[in-house]
Amino acid sequence: MNKKKEISDKKETEESLIELGKFYFINGKYDKAIEEFKKAIELNPRNSETYYNLGLVYEAKNNIEEARKMYEKSVEIDPNNKLAKEHLEKIVGL
Amino acid sequence: MTKKQFLVVGLGTFGENVAKYLTEKGAQVIAVDTDEKKVQNIAPFVTQALTADATDEKFLKSLNPKDIDVGIVAIGESLEDSVLVTLHMKELGVKKIIVKCINQLHARISAKLGADRIVYPELEMAKRVAEGLISPNILEEIELSPEYNIVELIVPKKFIGKTIKQAKIRSEYNINIIAIKRKVPYLTDSGETDFKEEINIAPLADDELNDGDILVVIGKDSDVERLKKNE
Repeated sequence: MNKKKEISDKKETEESLIELGKFYFINGKYDKAIEEFKKAIELNPRNSETYYNLGLVYEAKNNIEEARKMYEKSVEIDPNNKLAKEHLEKIVGL
Repeated sequence: MTKKQFLVVGLGTFGENVAKYLTEKGAQVIAVDTDEKKVQNIAPFVTQALTADATDEKFLKSLNPKDIDVGIVAIGESLEDSVLVTLHMKELGVKKIIVKCINQLHARISAKLGADRIVYPELEMAKRVAEGLISPNILEEIELSPEYNIVELIVPKKFIGKTIKQAKIRSEYNINIIAIKRKVPYLTDSGETDFKEEINIAPLADDELNDGDILVVIGKDSDVERLKKNE
């Protein structure tokens, strides 16, 4: 397998993991959603969207501490991630 | 119905915000401070903003104190000024007086002078923060009586996926669920995920409890404690 194909395959898998995580989240299967987002993070630890989604699931489960960590990570990677910023500010009480 | 009249004396953070919220809620608010800058800042948000010394009885008299429904004494820095203003308000016939206190001595003096309510924001907030740290599953607590509380708590794991009836919260714990707060996930128009908060008032016995639900319950302290232990 050449390097280019390997990268594009990885990207595709990451995207499908995120989509699957979102699917579980929308359907209220929070623990399964967390599993998928964590797998996506293993493949690419620098995607702001994944951390935002993981934060969202933790917040929905009322695990505020973990949610905050994930939103912080998301904003650190992409300071323009508006949704992550909004949720983070709400949690901190701004 | 005529609008309720409020007089807020002292425009620190507390006084300023009380005055603003009251106006937002449609009340008539007179805001007073000796600091002209503070008065100017609040002027656009209240009915009337005045730079004056409220410890001066003549000034308070000029405001027709008998027409004032609630006087809020929010003087933070000087205990003496706060006490004087409270005394004058009482003597001039302000119907109800609320005093923001800085310490317990201040609270006791104000109560003796006839304050109808003492608020102690620092102490109240400290209690809340401490309670939140000790039992993180309890989000809010309102004491109805020494025995009965209204409590907001995260749904215990054991009950996730069950209906209220199956969870036997009422029959086994003598606890009534007043409302369920739920974060409902959805996709935005641009395909992003988010959730909105919904509240189900007076839920039915067949309503199911979901992961992440927050239950607003009413019951005895000891029963709520028992319910909480179902993690």
